[in-house]
Amino acid sequence: MSETKPPLVEHLFRHQYGKMVAALTRIFGPSNLETIEDAVQDTFMKAMVAWREGIPENPEGWLMTAAKNRAIDLFRKLTADEKRVLKMDSGTSAIALGEVFLESEIEDAQLRMIFMACHPSLNPRDQIAFALKTISGFSSKEIASALLLKEETVKKRLVRARKSIAALDLEFKIPQGTDLPPRLNRVLEVLYLIFNEGFHSGKKEILVRKELCGEAMRFCQMLLKNPFTKTSEAHALFGLMCFHSARLEGKISADNEIIDLKNQDRSKWFGPLVILGNEAMNKAVEKGKYSTYHFEAAIAAEHLKAKTFEETDWNQIHNYYHQLHELQPTVFNLLNIAFVKMQLGKLSEAFEILMTFHPKDLEQRAYLYYGTIAEYHILKNEKSKAINSLDEALKLVKNEAEKTYLKRKKEKINESM
Amino acid sequence: MKDFMLIFKGKSYEALGLTPEQIEQRMGKWFAWHQKMETDGVRIKSGDALHDHTRTMAGTDRTRTDVTSPETKELIGGYYILTLNDMEEASKIAENFPDYDLGSVVEIREIMVYDV
Repeated sequence: MSETKPPLVEHLFRHQYGKMVAALTRIFGPSNLETIEDAVQDTFMKAMVAWREGIPENPEGWLMTAAKNRAIDLFRKLTADEKRVLKMDSGTSAIALGEVFLESEIEDAQLRMIFMACHPSLNPRDQIAFALKTISGFSSKEIASALLLKEETVKKRLVRARKSIAALDLEFKIPQGTDLPPRLNRVLEVLYLIFNEGFHSGKKEILVRKELCGEAMRFCQMLLKNPFTKTSEAHALFGLMCFHSARLEGKISADNEIIDLKNQDRSKWFGPLVILGNEAMNKAVEKGKYSTYHFEAAIAAEHLKAKTFEETDWNQIHNYYHQLHELQPTVFNLLNIAFVKMQLGKLSEAFEILMTFHPKDLEQRAYLYYGTIAEYHILKNEKSKAINSLDEALKLVKNEAEKTYLKRKKEKINESM
Repeated sequence: MKDFMLIFKGKSYEALGLTPEQIEQRMGKWFAWHQKMETDGVRIKSGDALHDHTRTMAGTDRTRTDVTSPETKELIGGYYILTLNDMEEASKIAENFPDYDLGSVVEIREIMVYDV
């Protein structure tokens, strides 16, 4: 049946799924999530049948009314969370129930869902899958495709997350007071991960990448709408996402191949996102306290500012990477600092830095180390050494698009020999 | 424009012995009523449902009486505050109240505003 579903309906369902699940979770509590999700799924099946003759004038309203009716139906099966004492024993409870489905209340419920999905006691690997399912309405299949996992694995993760939520009796609330900052930090981390899954995804299809990035940005926007969660960090993360997304289209060629920063068609970068990112950054710097997201956004902004690769202000970027590294030392930062130093012509300094750590420190990204070493040899005109390093990188790289990229690079050196 | 309070009084569904299916049907009517107001562009300022539990305070000794029984005929179940032109418009809207057949009533009161 899904093959015949018009894209508009599919989009609407996915979008409404998260809203309906969040609103119903607010009424019945997270321990009933499984029943709630089944009920929402069921509503869609009903809509599919009812809409065969034609889509109603206000499909969103149709679905929301269906969700309300579904809630009444669920009252028969489930007992609402004791903390929520809505009883269906008079017509006026329809007013109270209606409130839960108001746009502003649904936004609030979705924010609660984000905090629950990113709860520290959930398995970090389950968090992303769970968020994509309950907030974005992705199917297990779509999540599997987006995260390069088996569908079975995704299903297991979802079950495990739901079980943990019920077992831990997690509250469906936005944390307050001193509880909020650490919980918000974790939320930002998860959103950053979702975004990166999209941005650096091994998936060639641009659509999947765009959807993941888009969802991460949508979640982030939800945080920016709430007075307690619109912190400098949240603004900076949103700015960072905007800057990166602006380049997304230019990163992949028509043949689905990765184009490096040097060779990207900068006219393909998307201006409106840059403007949106700038606005977010203006708000992010108001308080004068900078997070890692601030510096990462600043670096991304520098790249966007440069009209050509050659015009890039590498000194400024070098400076930002140092500040970023001071705030949060990682081998990835060291790798980037080495790369920037090479652009500045400080080849021996770059090499010294690369010698301070081991490719294994980069775990599954170890190929990047060899890629950078290769770059160093290219700049020094040591072609055979460069090819050796590229071979090392090729042994380790798993992502098809990046594999092709490295192969191309090797071919080019061979041609110039 | 003035604000009008529509107050809903009557027995609870539970006291009337409605089956879950009947309750579901009733709720559907309430949603439809609310939906109609929205489509007609009625400004709903607020609306709330009230719990059954009623405490009455009376007498010079401030005697408290708690009534939880849903049997009370005149139980106020909830209200809407709507911004409208006049009492007539409020009455037109109240005509669609779904529970007249159950003996429930709507009381309409204009909310007083002191203009200084």
